[in-house]
Amino acid sequence: MTIDLAPNHKAGLVLANPVMPAAGCFGLGTEYARLVEVEALGALVVGPLTAHPRRGAESPRLVPTPAGVLLHTGLANPGLSAVLRRYARVWARSPVPVIVHVAGTAPDEVASCCRRLAGVEAIAGLELGLPDTADPDEATAIVQAAHASAGQPLIVRLPLVWADALCQAAVEAGADALTVAAPPRGTAWYAPGNHFITGRLYGPFVLPLALRALRRVAALVSVPLVGCGGIHTVEDAQAFLRAGAAAVQIDGAVWRDPACLAHVARTLSSTVEPH
Amino acid sequence: MIQAGALITDIGTSGPFVRVTFAAPAIASGLAAGRFVLADLGGYLRAPLFPARIEAEEFDVLISPRHAAAALQPGADVDLIGPLGRGFEIPAATERLLLVASADHLPVLLPLAYQNHQKPGFWEKPGFSTGFAIALLLSAPTAADLYPIRLLPPAVEVTIVTADGSAGQRSSILKRSDDLLPDLVRWADCACIAGDPATYPALAEIVREVRAGSGRRFAQALVVPPVACGVGACQGCAVSVARGTRLACTDGPVFDLLELR
Repeated sequence: MTIDLAPNHKAGLVLANPVMPAAGCFGLGTEYARLVEVEALGALVVGPLTAHPRRGAESPRLVPTPAGVLLHTGLANPGLSAVLRRYARVWARSPVPVIVHVAGTAPDEVASCCRRLAGVEAIAGLELGLPDTADPDEATAIVQAAHASAGQPLIVRLPLVWADALCQAAVEAGADALTVAAPPRGTAWYAPGNHFITGRLYGPFVLPLALRALRRVAALVSVPLVGCGGIHTVEDAQAFLRAGAAAVQIDGAVWRDPACLAHVARTLSSTVEPH
Repeated sequence: MIQAGALITDIGTSGPFVRVTFAAPAIASGLAAGRFVLADLGGYLRAPLFPARIEAEEFDVLISPRHAAAALQPGADVDLIGPLGRGFEIPAATERLLLVASADHLPVLLPLAYQNHQKPGFWEKPGFSTGFAIALLLSAPTAADLYPIRLLPPAVEVTIVTADGSAGQRSSILKRSDDLLPDLVRWADCACIAGDPATYPALAEIVREVRAGSGRRFAQALVVPPVACGVGACQGCAVSVARGTRLACTDGPVFDLLELR
């Protein structure tokens, strides 16, 4: 059972299993080393990364809500150079392909990141996260910048709310595959600090939203799709595959149950034919 | 660190706390005061639990009756991830250990108070005094909120302050006119603190005044924001420190009091 997420790219992006962790949930690849059977997965998705170090948002970043959790990290990361120094050799030893998620901040920064990553043999693919506020023109500019600079296959992660509006622009600009979708954003009142916090929402409630978005995108484009959003069980992952996804990413469920990644991967590989 | 099931072997009470005993041999041996486990208690996020008593194959937590873990029953299995984080680190030459806690946070410090008893001879190695002294400054709203002091080792010298005067002095830890805290800080050569982080800036000011030039980690304080992954992957449990941000789950949850912002 193999899935090629970039059949039209010279290198391809072949996964032995359709299950991977989602960017923003799995760290840079070593954090879950003792808790997750990485070899059971299709790939690792690490990051997000930016060209320069980002301190990220102030505390609190995490607000539990009745439906799940709201997380606002402010893209905290040590920056591309520091990450490559520390992790390139780690990724080279990974038993499964490593996909690096690049935050789609601006075309210039994205191009700079993708150029640096193009020469890193340990990286099998790039995932580009589009800003939630991007319109089709902005999305085109960012994806074109990444496509022109990237050596590896390019997956573009779409904002959930605008997934169907941006998917064609992303494909025309060079996306080899699409991830549908980034977690939606929400706002919570943080009583102890007497202020609002806006961030990404994680929880089972995201699944129907993401599934709907994936079905709409599947009707509009023909590149491989990666379903992402609220997957907590084998059945959740199967729903995405039935809706047209070639692979799935598991997000916040990893935090509660790291073992669920390998469990879903092993179960799918024994029961489900790829799309 | 592992993900493993733990068996609830006992449930009881200790004063206002519910005591839950977890049999978890592979995890208990790596625990220490200030380190923690993440327990799957049915919520979307796992709940951080701090050991109040640690043995080779089991550990106790003391929690509020309103905590989700208080509903567990003996014989139940609970999925744990742990041990996690960096706990309190007592320098080898310490002879006078000060513990400062609010009543609800005291359980986190109890392994330090019981350390003499759990590890006979530990304090007799070179560099330690066999007459190792521990002082505990404990604050509570009322006497009803206090861990039963009679259960503490006799060698622990306890000072209690309550807001209503129902036990110990009617005061607060930070009341400067009493000089309680400055005197104890002056006496100690290591201080471990677990309480409301909102009080930490004032505590830090006292430490700076009384122990100017004290070494790094003279005063260590527990900070527990909401934790999602517990391994540093989600970047969610950020704590502001002097040189940026740190993660409570991997860099903490015990930090140098003077570095907290």
